[in-house]
Amino acid sequence: MIKKVKKNNFAGELVSYQITYENSNVSVSVPLDEANTDYQEIQEWVAEGNTIEEAD
Amino acid sequence: MGYVGNKPALNYTSFAVQHFTTSATTSYSLDHAVNNENDIRLVINNVVQQPGSGKAYTATGTTLTLSAATSGTDTMYCVFLGKAVQTVNPSQASVGTSQLVADSVTEAKLNDDVISGQGALGAEPADTDEFLISDAGVLKRVDYSHIKAPAAVSLRPNAEPLIINGSMNVAQRSTSVASITGSAYNTVDRWKTTIYTAGTWTQTQETLSAADLNTTGHKRSLKMDCTTADASLGASDAIHLQTRLEAQDCQLFQYGTASAEKLTLAFWVKATKTGTNIVEAYEFDDDRICCQSYTVDTTDTWEQKVLNFPADTTGVIDDNTGAGISFNFYMGAGTDYTSGTLQTTWAARTDANRAVGQVNNADSTSNNFEITGVQLEVGEYTSSTLPSFQHESYGDNLSRCQRYYSRPIDGDSQGICTAAAYNTNDGFGIYLFPVRMRSAPSLVTTNGTNYYKFVGNNTSVNFDGPLVISTATESSGQLAFSSFSGALTQNMGGAFRTGSASASLAFSSEL
Repeated sequence: MIKKVKKNNFAGELVSYQITYENSNVSVSVPLDEANTDYQEIQEWVAEGNTIEEAD
Repeated sequence: MGYVGNKPALNYTSFAVQHFTTSATTSYSLDHAVNNENDIRLVINNVVQQPGSGKAYTATGTTLTLSAATSGTDTMYCVFLGKAVQTVNPSQASVGTSQLVADSVTEAKLNDDVISGQGALGAEPADTDEFLISDAGVLKRVDYSHIKAPAAVSLRPNAEPLIINGSMNVAQRSTSVASITGSAYNTVDRWKTTIYTAGTWTQTQETLSAADLNTTGHKRSLKMDCTTADASLGASDAIHLQTRLEAQDCQLFQYGTASAEKLTLAFWVKATKTGTNIVEAYEFDDDRICCQSYTVDTTDTWEQKVLNFPADTTGVIDDNTGAGISFNFYMGAGTDYTSGTLQTTWAARTDANRAVGQVNNADSTSNNFEITGVQLEVGEYTSSTLPSFQHESYGDNLSRCQRYYSRPIDGDSQGICTAAAYNTNDGFGIYLFPVRMRSAPSLVTTNGTNYYKFVGNNTSVNFDGPLVISTATESSGQLAFSSFSGALTQNMGGAFRTGSASASLAFSSEL
């Protein structure tokens, strides 16, 4: 289950999203590609009312 | 009275008679050719004439010559002593080969049941059994050994089966994952576990015994071991194993056209629980299903099942890199999926028709469910006509799996890629994927204290991760870490490396 999603910036620009999970040291860096199923999962997660956090 | 020789078929025969119109001539033409004058009896004015040279007449061929001319008032006729003019049917069983002219029996004289009227050979012909063929128009015989299909090939190595990793040989993520309660790819590549509140499971890539290898032809399997049972599934609960085919690889099925192909799905299954199980084919683009059932007959025994799926002339599979069809091997399902009638032809998805009759493999911690040798063939086959499994080399199989997932980095002190310092905070490097992936992939990392390091400029800078993917295509990805907090020297070169046995990187573009 997704714990949170935050933005990844590189040199000040959004380059990907970062998914972290409950009770896991695994994270998934998701490119901004609509064919990527993790990206699709994030869009569904947002559609359910969740919010993507800003980059650190 | 009795007869000498064959009895006439119907009646006495009659002799042909020719009446002449006479004139003052000695020459007449006969209706039938004769050898000589003795073959006819000539009568003039009711007086029988004597045949022979120097007598009343001679004859040869159709020429009749009188010794004296007749007159127009004479009456003259002849009887052909050697010619019968009656149609006579030969008596039964009296015509032999010698009565027939060579090559005189034509197609029209043969009865249509010349083949179907014969006794059927109930087994494959012997090699020396013979068939009639037309060899460029000339009838010839040929031995069955020359025309029979070649012996079934027991192995088809280096092929590319439609189901990737149906042999269960590749397991990049792990060979064993415990405490599975949700949906994810766990062990064997290309096989996703989907669980909606249906027990807790341990999934393993099993190595089969020599005896099981002998039975199935496979050395690996995917095994589900129930560790927490759910004997009473809720209405919306379900569990299945799933493999997905990329849409562009399904175009040969010609779905959505009048030429749509039937499919045959075959596999080996070994389950503790006997009874009915369901495999569902699911079309993603048009949300359509077709389900077939099979029976596990004997507990914990490998059995091969062959399921036929009809052609779908309605549903269209888009020609793209998305998911085309999945095959869902149900292990349990609640009433939301079982309360209708099993959908055995292609139709729009109705959940109640998806898994009707499915037994609950989650109802006991004694239950195991194991599959291997999953193959998909275009066409309709039975267990006796099924083509042999298309075995791949491990390398070929791995390469095809890596289109969807690759795990190149796993452990300590492994080089990830060359890297550079964009500035004092941001380091990045380019990673080339081993094969072109389905889409720009996600980067999956494990993270912890000093899991990674930037090595360069005669120094090593540790960091916890995560490395992120900053840009990516199907062929390569730029990996970056942006929290070096001034520890890098701008433009310094180096490499990303792992610094922990628990560090790992994987790239995922699963369907």
